Amino acid sequence: MSEKATALIIGGGIAGMEAALKLGQGGYRAVLAEKDHSLGGTVSKLCSSFPRWEDPQDLLRLKEQQLQSLETISILRDTEITGIEKKKGTFHATWKNSSGEEGALNAQAVIVATGFDLFDASIYGEYGYGIYPGVVNSLEFEQVLKDHTDGKAALPRNIAFFKCVGSRDRSKGHPYCSKICCMYTAKQAGTAKNLSPESKCYVFYMDYRAAGKEYEEFVRSVIEEKQVRYVRGRPSKVVMEKGQLLVRFEDTLIGAPMEVAVDMVVLASAVIPKPATRRLAEMLGLKTDEYGFIEAEYGSAVKAQENIFFAGGCGFAVETIGASAQGAAAAAEVMALFNKGGKP
Amino acid sequence: MMLTESPIRRLDAKAPGLAEELKRDLDIDITRCLECGKCSGGCSYAHGFDYTPRKMVQLIKLEERGKLLRMRALWTCLSCQLCLDRCPSSIDMPRILDYLRGKAYAERLNDVHPEIEKFYEIMLSDIRNNGRISETLMMARFNFATRRYFSNADLGMKLFFKGKLKLFGPKTKNLNSLRALFAKLLFRSPAEQEPS
Amino acid sequence: MNHKRIVSPEEKFPKVPESLFLFRSCTGSVEYPGTENAIKEILKLLGIKAVMDPDQTCCSGYLLTCSAYKPEFSLAVTARNLSLAERKDLDVFAFCNGCFGYLSELAHIILHNPDYKAMANSVIAPMGYEFKGTARIYHVQELYRRLQSNLVALVKRPLQGLRVGVHYGCHYLARQYGILDDGGYPSYIEDIISSLGGTPVFYKERQACCGYAVGRGFTHKENVVHPHLYSKLKSAREEGVEILVTVCPGCNTALDREQPALSERSGEKFGIPAIDVGQLIALALGVAVQKLGFKANTVPLDEVLRKISADKGENIQ
Repeated sequence: MSEKATALIIGGGIAGMEAALKLGQGGYRAVLAEKDHSLGGTVSKLCSSFPRWEDPQDLLRLKEQQLQSLETISILRDTEITGIEKKKGTFHATWKNSSGEEGALNAQAVIVATGFDLFDASIYGEYGYGIYPGVVNSLEFEQVLKDHTDGKAALPRNIAFFKCVGSRDRSKGHPYCSKICCMYTAKQAGTAKNLSPESKCYVFYMDYRAAGKEYEEFVRSVIEEKQVRYVRGRPSKVVMEKGQLLVRFEDTLIGAPMEVAVDMVVLASAVIPKPATRRLAEMLGLKTDEYGFIEAEYGSAVKAQENIFFAGGCGFAVETIGASAQGAAAAAEVMALFNKGGKP
Repeated sequence: MMLTESPIRRLDAKAPGLAEELKRDLDIDITRCLECGKCSGGCSYAHGFDYTPRKMVQLIKLEERGKLLRMRALWTCLSCQLCLDRCPSSIDMPRILDYLRGKAYAERLNDVHPEIEKFYEIMLSDIRNNGRISETLMMARFNFATRRYFSNADLGMKLFFKGKLKLFGPKTKNLNSLRALFAKLLFRSPAEQEPS
Repeated sequence: MNHKRIVSPEEKFPKVPESLFLFRSCTGSVEYPGTENAIKEILKLLGIKAVMDPDQTCCSGYLLTCSAYKPEFSLAVTARNLSLAERKDLDVFAFCNGCFGYLSELAHIILHNPDYKAMANSVIAPMGYEFKGTARIYHVQELYRRLQSNLVALVKRPLQGLRVGVHYGCHYLARQYGILDDGGYPSYIEDIISSLGGTPVFYKERQACCGYAVGRGFTHKENVVHPHLYSKLKSAREEGVEILVTVCPGCNTALDREQPALSERSGEKFGIPAIDVGQLIALALGVAVQKLGFKANTVPLDEVLRKISADKGENIQ
């Protein structure tokens, strides 16, 4: 393929950044389009990471520094891809940025890395999301943790974490497991205990899924060392008692209906596809599953169809390290494609 | 006592009869249960049950007919439907309980609560005789039948004399058509044994 | 069949009915006759005709339970009752959650099983009834929501910030499809209350069951119903609820009639009157207090009536 072959990466979260980084380090050309001003996507909202309690912002700073030193990578910030079509092996894309400028660009390969959204938990009236101010979703809780670290607002004293809010619920249309909630909930509860050891944290679980290197040890350390209380049972409702939240649940290990008073409830909402992913999938004619996540071609983890790849949350729920790995894999696919005739 | 069997209960994965019955008769699939307990934490009266709704599903899986048909919760359930409303798998627990109550009644296993039978009898004969029910009269008859002279009747009579309660509700006009329904469909009804 | 969990009042009633079949409640007629009067007065003010039929029987909810869950019988009784509305070409409006729930449920079963429909009709046909399945089933409260702005325009006796606790009742909220609100956190009756000048109170056990259920008020009063009601009423009292409103005469009976017994068993005072939401709306619309049958209530309404200046009782419509 020609020396000028360019990959268009849509989405500058950790998956898109890693893809751009690998392409740039290999000497390939890529355009990274990010709708927000800053790179990092969901990871930029996180205040700690598992399984090693690192600061995800350090990781993002490192990646961004590396990206900026690469000459073959151009980054379009505040920019959305408004249209894209494929003609004779070339993708013609149009873009628009936040100051109203529009433009067009051509690419020979596309990597979709648009990330994921959280399910709107207000559909569960019984949990009071959007009704009681103390009920937040897990991304909002990352901000609560950050605000405490930055000295802006103190962490609430007692916190309940609900897993599987929207996930594993046929009645709400999401029978699947969102995969990452078990780990980030352990991380969030552990972080709260790190920041405020006298706080009481309760994690409500049906089971905890810690399938990953050091994951089981991480969850155990949260339970045993950080003293986070794990309660087996899916909470049934949250009621308000004299300004305090009261969580009603069954301790399913002994079969006892119980309640616990807390100051904050954190809902680990289901991971769902972004509307942008659906739009792109439509424009590019990509196959999606029944929920709207992009489907991979048989035999590949990141190939959607000829010359189109994907990485990160647009394919399914994935944690930071997994999204990075998929970004790198998508970059490898593009390099293989661009390098078919020998050197790039 | 002869020692014949191991005290350890042996599990057998063969599909239990009750689960199959529920599938066949009510189209309810209890294998969908996630064992999460959301039904039981939200239940209006689970704190007073011998088995929470989640445990009842497990009893069905284990084919524990005896426990299910004799459990106290079968009759103390308030039929509030919250278990179904909260269930992530939409398992219709209220219908399962209706089904089990019917079975317990048919098999005369409701001896744990003889007042249930009395209540049914009185209620049915009231509807048969009037078309609509008068809870005041029913309460009085019920208390008399179960020898609870000083509980509800006490309050009922006080209210009646204060003019707060009407003793008789409006009667249905075309009662013969209703009685024909009773005769045709409710052969086994205790009401049938009552003089009309 | 509408399979959406929550529907808007406009979706439910694209057109407001000119007349409706008012399905009378047994409990309502005997315990609180004022409920039915209040509904009739409101409908009169809204220009809607209420039609009733003396041939109507019990909704068959109790029958379903007491015939030991023998559904055939209840299905036939339901078909008979609904055929009365169909003869008049009207939709059915129940004002008891039990009637509403059982009628909807049983009608659904009949309409979705041709065998049951044939069975029910074969039983009632010799007596001259036929159920076609054209009558739709609503709860009267749904109409209040649909016509909320009309009601607000008719207010003559604003509720003066009266602290009102709502009890929705399980058998409306726990329906799986086609209700007006989120069963997990309903709030539309509170919205109606505010628009009439009242202060809705979201007390802790607002959504807890009344405890009466089907016959539990008879068979398990002391051990089940009382402890349950105690925590409900206690939470209402603690949050300063001055009056409870219900949408079901059965729930109303539990909340009102049991208060003396609860006081006796707990040594605590409750004194929170419970009335149908229709009775409160009728009060706000200026209907004469005498027409609303409050003398049937165990817990007197004197203070509430004084607060909204309805104690003189005159009709100010």
